[in-house]
Amino acid sequence: MRRFGNTAIAGVTVVALCSGAWLLRSGAETHAPPQPSAAQAHVGRDDGPARSARYERSAPALPPSPPDRIRIPSIRVDAPLTGLGLTGTGSLDVPPARHENLAGWYEAGTTPGETGTAIVAGHVDNADGPAVFYALGALKKGDAIEVDRRDGGVAVFTVDAVEVYKATGFPDAKVYGAAARPELRVITCGGGYSRTTGYQGNVVVFAHLTGSSR
Amino acid sequence: MRRTARLLTTAVCAVAVAGPAAAPAYGGDTGTLEVYPSTVVPGGQVTVNTAACGNGGTVAGDASAVGAGAFTLAPSARDGEAIGRFRVPPSAQPGTYEIAGTCAESGRRVAGDLVVTLTSARQQVSPRGSVKTGVGGALGPDPVQTAAGVAALAVAAAGGTWLLHRRARGDGI
Repeated sequence: MRRFGNTAIAGVTVVALCSGAWLLRSGAETHAPPQPSAAQAHVGRDDGPARSARYERSAPALPPSPPDRIRIPSIRVDAPLTGLGLTGTGSLDVPPARHENLAGWYEAGTTPGETGTAIVAGHVDNADGPAVFYALGALKKGDAIEVDRRDGGVAVFTVDAVEVYKATGFPDAKVYGAAARPELRVITCGGGYSRTTGYQGNVVVFAHLTGSSR
Repeated sequence: MRRTARLLTTAVCAVAVAGPAAAPAYGGDTGTLEVYPSTVVPGGQVTVNTAACGNGGTVAGDASAVGAGAFTLAPSARDGEAIGRFRVPPSAQPGTYEIAGTCAESGRRVAGDLVVTLTSARQQVSPRGSVKTGVGGALGPDPVQTAAGVAALAVAAAGGTWLLHRRARGDGI
């Protein structure tokens, strides 16, 4: 009986020692958000045949209606959308950081599904850990993004490219510029992290409307 | 004279009492008709929705104030909401117009404002530069995992100490 008790305690001790060491080791590792590979970048304009027709097909534009929710099934995003304005310097404002599952849309601009460039932004992390768009950099060309609209419809977008841009020399025209078809940009932080200056840039997802339902 | 004054007072009181009571019957709850965009240029399309009429009910929309005439709000995919659209005539003049809706069943009237301007307020200003959407909170050590690791090591230390004690006492390990 005593021998059994000793064996049990010795076993528990060994298991606790190993799992404690493993937990401390993996807990101290950095958990950098995924970043897109070069294969997810835009393909140059001149190599036309390389671009799949699937990415080119565009659904008819929807009438204006504000969005309520964004869903990206491939990275398990399902978050409400709040309206965003501009900061004093003219950059896009961000949703309150304390809500980790909240994204925002630029409400003075195009509504998702309408002709033009609709803009959605959300945090990659906050002080407590990963936030709504932590896995945005893991999106791939062809993935679906769904936006629920106030009119009861759903706008379905297909990812064209996932890019990373440095904050210095940010390509405003490419990211925010007008479009002749219904397009969507989804933006979060990325591009490396520095303790002094924070994230170095943004991950930007380019998508266009490929379907809708009512 | 005194009698007339008393009659008048009674009448005024009666109106004062009846007034607020009568108001909510119609038009007391306007503004529950959502108009989007709320500011539009002539020729622009406007989406209107309301939850004021309950499930499955249609709503008779009235945009005649801005010259777009009557339209219908049909039940939408969103629970209890009705939705309709109309186009502002290209000839519409700048100003603020009331867009109204009347519930087909209850007859309740709801309304919202639409502002017509000649220059579009939308899409005029695009954001500039990068967006501050992270603070690095995902990068540091995971406090929950670290605490669990410390707890597990404490258990191991306690177990080890206990076993050593037994061995020292010659308890047969």
